[in-house]
Amino acid sequence: MSIVASGAAYREQQADSSTGIGGFLFHPLALGVLLAVSIALYMGLWFVGQARTEITTDSWNRSVIQELMGLAEATAAIEAADKDLSSELLSQMLPRLPGAGDADATYRVLRLSGARLLASTNADDVGDMAAPRRLNRDEKWLFDLGQGIRASVQTNRDEGIFRRRHVEIDEIGGGEVRISLPYYVDEKVTGIVQAQMRPPDTTSSGNVWLALALGAGAYLLSLVALALAGPDRRHKDVAKEKPWALFAVGLVLLTLATFAFARFELAGVEKTYITLTHSLAGQLIELKETVGFLAGEAGVSASPDDDNGWDVDLYQRPVGIIGGSGDVRQDVLQEQVGLIAERLGGALRWNWALGALVLLFFGLGYARRLRRTVRDHKSAYLYVMPALVGMLVLAFFPFGYGILLSFTGQTVLNVSEPITDLFVGFQNYITILGDFQLFQSTAEGAVVNYQNFYWTLYITVCWTIFNVLIGVTLGVVLALMLNTKGLKYTNIYRVLLILPWAIPNYITALIWKGMFHQQFGVINQAIQMFGGDPIAWFDGVFSSFMTGLVTNGWLSFPFMMVITLGALQSIPADLYEAATIDGANRWQQFKHVTLPSLKPTLVPAIIISVVWTFNMFNVIYLVSGGSPAGANEILITKSYKIAFEEYRYGYAAAYSVVIFFILVFYGVFQTRMTKATEAANA
Amino acid sequence: MIGTDKRTGQVSHFWLHTFLVIFTILSTYPILWVIVVAFSGQQALSFADVPADPGFLDRLRAILPWPQTWSLDNFTDVLTEQPFLTWMLNSAIVAGLTTILGVFLACTAAYAFSRFQFPGRKAGMMAFLVSQMFPGTLLLVPIYIIITQWLGLGNSFVGLVLVYSVTAIPFCVWMMKGYFDTIPVEIEESAIMDGASRQVIFFRIILPLAKPAVAVTALFSFMTGWNEFILAATFLEEEVKYTAPVGLKFFVGGFSSQWGYFAAGSMIISLPVVLLFLYLQKYLVSGLTAGGVKG
Repeated sequence: MSIVASGAAYREQQADSSTGIGGFLFHPLALGVLLAVSIALYMGLWFVGQARTEITTDSWNRSVIQELMGLAEATAAIEAADKDLSSELLSQMLPRLPGAGDADATYRVLRLSGARLLASTNADDVGDMAAPRRLNRDEKWLFDLGQGIRASVQTNRDEGIFRRRHVEIDEIGGGEVRISLPYYVDEKVTGIVQAQMRPPDTTSSGNVWLALALGAGAYLLSLVALALAGPDRRHKDVAKEKPWALFAVGLVLLTLATFAFARFELAGVEKTYITLTHSLAGQLIELKETVGFLAGEAGVSASPDDDNGWDVDLYQRPVGIIGGSGDVRQDVLQEQVGLIAERLGGALRWNWALGALVLLFFGLGYARRLRRTVRDHKSAYLYVMPALVGMLVLAFFPFGYGILLSFTGQTVLNVSEPITDLFVGFQNYITILGDFQLFQSTAEGAVVNYQNFYWTLYITVCWTIFNVLIGVTLGVVLALMLNTKGLKYTNIYRVLLILPWAIPNYITALIWKGMFHQQFGVINQAIQMFGGDPIAWFDGVFSSFMTGLVTNGWLSFPFMMVITLGALQSIPADLYEAATIDGANRWQQFKHVTLPSLKPTLVPAIIISVVWTFNMFNVIYLVSGGSPAGANEILITKSYKIAFEEYRYGYAAAYSVVIFFILVFYGVFQTRMTKATEAANA
Repeated sequence: MIGTDKRTGQVSHFWLHTFLVIFTILSTYPILWVIVVAFSGQQALSFADVPADPGFLDRLRAILPWPQTWSLDNFTDVLTEQPFLTWMLNSAIVAGLTTILGVFLACTAAYAFSRFQFPGRKAGMMAFLVSQMFPGTLLLVPIYIIITQWLGLGNSFVGLVLVYSVTAIPFCVWMMKGYFDTIPVEIEESAIMDGASRQVIFFRIILPLAKPAVAVTALFSFMTGWNEFILAATFLEEEVKYTAPVGLKFFVGGFSSQWGYFAAGSMIISLPVVLLFLYLQKYLVSGLTAGGVKG
């Protein structure tokens, strides 16, 4: 076909283009260097930005925590000395804290016993609401927060490790952040102090101009290298002749650019960290004076010890960089700077490796081959592109992400933590597949554990088999009837019988739910009409299963009927005539003419309907909801409930991956079987 | 049972009709039920009040699909007192855009798969098929993150339309490809001889020839957008942006049981799809079987 011809034309064009000035500028080496350096530096910029943002955010958090620790210590000292005075003194103290100069900043001090708000600078807490007072109902969250922190501290003490945070940092929307931490009287969490503030914008990136300059420099140098290589070389397909030499040149350029970038940015990040640490130390000295002075008015003293218990991490452990007198400990600081540099440096090394891979791709001619392929089949790729991009972004990528999620312990509680911190390996899969405790022994003997995966799998398989069986049987029988020659009114039957398919299935499901209602549902009315007792449909495992089966059977037979009818009408009449002449009776005709003719249509239809039924979410979810006690849950509804009712995202993802592999296994098995039967028939 | 034997034809037709009539009544009963509840003007599940000690006839009356009084109250209430009309409009916008985008995506990709030989063709088709097996619950969380956080399309119709169109792609592509395969290549070759470009061939020749398959693709995409409610319930936050299915779920979901509103709303929502469906069903059969045989 002409496509082949046009491909050849493209190849000729391609050969021409590599001789001009364009061929020089877009030489694989130059392009490869440009792309590799761009990728390495662009990602470098991102990582540097992340590191800078983290450092500044962290430092801001620490400054607030430091202030709160000072406040907590003063509060604790005052509370220990004279409880009745604390509210008044604290109310004087709060507006004079160093951070209170910020118009958006407000502070609260809460004593847990009696849920007493001791002091507050919140705009709402004036007049009738002025502290000290008992918390009202709307402020239960504050009390709960305090209780939560107390529980965390207790847990950590009991276990002897630092697992749960003592310092709570909540983003409360509107760009504001609330930081709360406990104060201790006699080693016990007695209350919390809290600051609510608008953090400065800390988003940051690396030096874009530096990256651009380095990228352009590397590209120009690669052109110089090409020019030096001589006119002969650059006009030929050098990639073919000396791929390794070119690759080496490119690699040197990439390494130089990345190295220069890393040196410059690392120095910048280190400097930022040191500056921030010194300003934090300055704040501490200021804070010490204010808090010490105010505490002195109450006749107590509050000051950090030598290890500086005011500059702490989220578990209230001293960070140790700044001493109690506001001195910066150089050795610890250098160690910390080294850690930061090592982490960022590691990320930048990976960027370099990625760039080197891109270079290898270009240098060894793969890029050229890829470009040729794309050019040769330009229109084909053009036509596939829109759908493919859509599928990649909204089907394949989510799928990959879901698989990643299945190896984590992500739940609604830790969803904000980076996913890399939550890896649990195959734990989820082991929990799902390794649980063989299908039966639980109770007082009434052994009962089935309906939450067990294998029970749900068993129900799902039964569900699929029976549904497809019902759908296919009803569909084929009705189609055969409607295909009867000379039968009148077939169009009316056809239209009426197709209706269940046409109506949206969630509506159908809700209708049937109404009809199965124990007291008012028409089905129980009909049973009572003939003297039976009403059935509590959703209370029994079997009856509840039946409700789903009836609903889905009703939904699915029209599809099979329409498909079969279409296939029946396309069977040539002479086949039957020939069979009749050969003396075949009706059954033989059906078996040897009708069925084989239906097979090519029915088999794909059955395959697709197995997959559909296996994943039929709406019917189970809306009709029985898996009742009783989740016994009639199928795999897909179960995984939905784990994700969106138990909020265990990682576990639900693993559950879904298991479902996927069951379906893939089915697909492979089905293909094998179809092929085998075809071979046997042939 | 299924006799077309000339001598016994009349008798077997009688039995056939008997069976078909009974089965049709049974299978249309739920639909009658909805219609009657919708026109009853009440919110109750049953058609008639059953007395304290009901007899056979009382029971029969309760299951006979005929309301005690005919009334349009449920319809007028749903359309005027509830924001149902807005929800319908939202659904129409979403489903309409899904249809346009879905048909475009499916037709172009299917054409390439049917007419071009290119590296990655088989892998691509296989990938589309495998993606049909991805469990929806696995994709839901990541899709939510992509749409709302990365693309910033949460609480908007655009995000929904994108997801719906992509959901419909694999099935539509396979079906369209099956149909394109049945159109002779010679038509295109002669058009190329006459100097027509690929675009002209695709839009002027192939698409008109593939009208039945395009119709089925359109119907499928439209129904995907019109009927879906889990994603819509997840993405849409404001009540004015709800699509009709999300709104409908309100009437009988949770602790409310306004079966009358539900029935009236269901009828209004179902009517366009059912009409479209019946109108396009002959295409549907030929489209599906073409896809099936060639698949």
